[in-house]
Amino acid sequence: MTARLLPLALLASALWLWAALHLLPLAQWPAWPLDPARMDIPQILLGFGLMPRGIVALLAGAALGLSGAMLQVVLRNPVADPTTLGISAGAQLALVTATIMASGLLQEGRWPVALAGAGLAAGLVLLIGARRAFAPVTMVIAGMLVGMTASAVATAMTLAQGEYLLSLVIWNGGSLVQQDWSGVRALAAVLAFGAAAAALLARPLRVLSLGTEGAQGLGLNVAAVRLLAVGVAVILAAAVSAELGLVAFVGLAAPALARSMGAVSIPRLLALSPLVGALILSVCDGLVLLVAGQVGEMFPTGALTGLIGGPLLIWLLPRLRGSTPPGTERAEGPAPRRERPAPLLIGLAVSLVVAALVLVWIGRVPGGWAVLDAQSFAAFLPMRLPRLIAAASAGAALAIAGAILQRLTANPLASPEVLGVSGGAAMGYAGVVYLVAAPTAAALTAGTMAGGALALILIAAFVSRRDMPAERVLLAGIAVSALASALLSAAMAVGDARSFQILAWLSGSSSAVTMPGALALAAVAAVLWTGALAARRWLAVLPLGAGVAGGLGLPLRPARMVLIALAGMATGAATVLVGPLSFVGLMAPHMARRLGLARPGDHVTGAALIGAGLMLAADFGARMAGFPYELPLGLFASLIGAPWLIWLMMRPQR
Amino acid sequence: MSLFSITDLSVDVPDRRLLHGLTLDLPPGRMIALIGHNGSGKSTLLKVLARQMTASGGRVAFEGRALADWRARDYARRLAFLPQHPPAAEGMTVRELVALGRYPWHGALGRFGPDDHAAVARAMAECGVTPFADRLVDTLSGGERQRAWLAMMVAQEAGTLLLDEPISALDIAHQVEVLALVRRMCHEANRSAVIVLHEVNMAARFCDHVVALKAGCLALQGGPADLMRPDALQDIYGLPMQVLTRPDGSPVAIPA
Repeated sequence: MTARLLPLALLASALWLWAALHLLPLAQWPAWPLDPARMDIPQILLGFGLMPRGIVALLAGAALGLSGAMLQVVLRNPVADPTTLGISAGAQLALVTATIMASGLLQEGRWPVALAGAGLAAGLVLLIGARRAFAPVTMVIAGMLVGMTASAVATAMTLAQGEYLLSLVIWNGGSLVQQDWSGVRALAAVLAFGAAAAALLARPLRVLSLGTEGAQGLGLNVAAVRLLAVGVAVILAAAVSAELGLVAFVGLAAPALARSMGAVSIPRLLALSPLVGALILSVCDGLVLLVAGQVGEMFPTGALTGLIGGPLLIWLLPRLRGSTPPGTERAEGPAPRRERPAPLLIGLAVSLVVAALVLVWIGRVPGGWAVLDAQSFAAFLPMRLPRLIAAASAGAALAIAGAILQRLTANPLASPEVLGVSGGAAMGYAGVVYLVAAPTAAALTAGTMAGGALALILIAAFVSRRDMPAERVLLAGIAVSALASALLSAAMAVGDARSFQILAWLSGSSSAVTMPGALALAAVAAVLWTGALAARRWLAVLPLGAGVAGGLGLPLRPARMVLIALAGMATGAATVLVGPLSFVGLMAPHMARRLGLARPGDHVTGAALIGAGLMLAADFGARMAGFPYELPLGLFASLIGAPWLIWLMMRPQR
Repeated sequence: MSLFSITDLSVDVPDRRLLHGLTLDLPPGRMIALIGHNGSGKSTLLKVLARQMTASGGRVAFEGRALADWRARDYARRLAFLPQHPPAAEGMTVRELVALGRYPWHGALGRFGPDDHAAVARAMAECGVTPFADRLVDTLSGGERQRAWLAMMVAQEAGTLLLDEPISALDIAHQVEVLALVRRMCHEANRSAVIVLHEVNMAARFCDHVVALKAGCLALQGGPADLMRPDALQDIYGLPMQVLTRPDGSPVAIPA
């Protein structure tokens, strides 16, 4: 099996050698030990740039491979890795915060800060997971929520501090450029520690692979082993984050490849994954060097690994047969059920209208609050009305999409964000910004919708597979989101005004909405609502699973396709306005269900009203909180939503 | 005309063959038990009959028409299927669950008319779930819940019921209750039923016809009397079995 690594190893060395020889012929290479005083510039570039870079690639890849392998083994989850569990994003947020708010902290080095952030994120994800028996899909979704929230906050901070943008973005992308050998020394030490820990933990982890009950029966302290193994994995991932930034998916790909090479037993997997990881990152970095040799250093290596990792995750998903225990997701406790939902729905609708009216009438002025008089009302109305309509419609559309997806997948954590449509839409927006010289608003909208549709087609390809369980579709969506974020970070690493435009859009704003745009969005929401009501019988049957649905003669594949298409289009349209992240699609259906709206029609309608209300509130908050400056709408919504969701996921079950 | 006529049916999953060229005719109007050891292919056969799984080779006809020629809703009007572990049906009342059985008749958009209401009421009465029609399904006991699901199948007004281990999660009193209900549904309303069962004595006591599978092949087909013989049972389960006779003359099998 190691023989199959040989071509990879040869490729990696050839790529590095090509770059090195391109820089300096072999005859002029500096003598060992390196002494900068006796070296000319190309020799220094080689000895303190390219050489440590090649070794750092190997070390970081090995660390990530080992980290991913340990996480996958300890969580018994074949798609766990530092990226999907939000660990890397946690480290990223901590570093961004420290850079902007307390740069003194970084004088001790980036390590403690990154480690604290990574540890916090991992702890949060594990806490959520522990409530739900570490169900793999729940873990990945929780990790993604934590990761997205961390990225959202980091983005907000970056936006507020434009001058730091460039260095932060490049750091985010995982650049492997080195100036000396300190990175090599640091990573080598961490990797040695990780390898020793992995060797000690190999046997307990093997026992743990029997499952919690089985391992406890054999006398294993399950909690301690889990904590130790995850701790080691977090340290490894945080070290790489601190040194290089976000290098996505190596931790996912390495164990997967190792497994496909026949590393079935846990000790073998732990031994082989670092090797594979080292080679993957080396090859990726070699490719980046190859491109850099031609046209200059275009993008960081971490972005390239993301580009490879997203498709890899998609490729892996159908092969997860049997390794993802199905049916481990449960809703949290029995939700109440209202016998007569009509009064509640009417009340929600009325309060929505009242809230909208009030929000038009009152506003903040320098030094206090004011209710508009008739004259200024007439002046403000054309400005305020479109954005209120647009915000409410976007909220309603996202909420309906979320309700549909939660019923379709029978998973209470499904939402448009998770489906990857938002990520696809973001890719479309970025594509237009970069490819069109002076993009018009219409071109941007079209690009965003096209991106969303593309992601949707990818997802639909999954759904059309006969035996594809709905929860796998969620994982496919996560893969698309990850791919999108990798592409975006690659695009933004260019670091000019266009990056700033994308960053601003990513966090969502309703200030630029025109009346026709707002009405179009309202029409989309209305169409979606009608469609969902028409499909309410499907929405009642589908949560009961494919067996019952098929037995009742429901056309399973077309029904899934239609519902995903509905949800996807609505998400794409709303994303244009509020950006790819808001959590409204996740929150509103939950709240509707908690309020006792159990029947599909009531559930969808209630979710739409609540979603519209939430988005109005977020819009109001975004306008008022930082008056006279405006905060991004989507960002504000996610800052309301994420803590609530995390609280919801951590509540004890019945 | 036979209920199902199965010719040379084989089912493959990656690296394994679950059914090996099965040829079999199932008679209509009977309560048919499908028994066999774990992994014998009995659940696979039921899923093929319910069109939940596709065959890799061979032909299966239901009421004289090949399975692939049936439209999904037409098939559901003639045949109702209950999977092995019915889901929790969270937040749904019994009446709503039973009403889902009308889907093959009204479809996604059709009106839920007086016929549908009547069929739901009849189904709930037949399965004895009318008293808790407005309770939530996930608050019922195991036996009551299984009766609610049976009522959903009755509301489908299908002539044939396919049940995958309907009693595996129930205590012995509820096992007898559910099987007696299915037997009544078959004999009084002239329905056919195909039931995957683990418990050989339950199969012999309640069913009219027994099909036994062994390692993906047909091991035995016949009445309960053909099944309750030590040599037949040893052949099916690979274990010496003893058949005792109860005072009323009915046989009981135990491991020898």
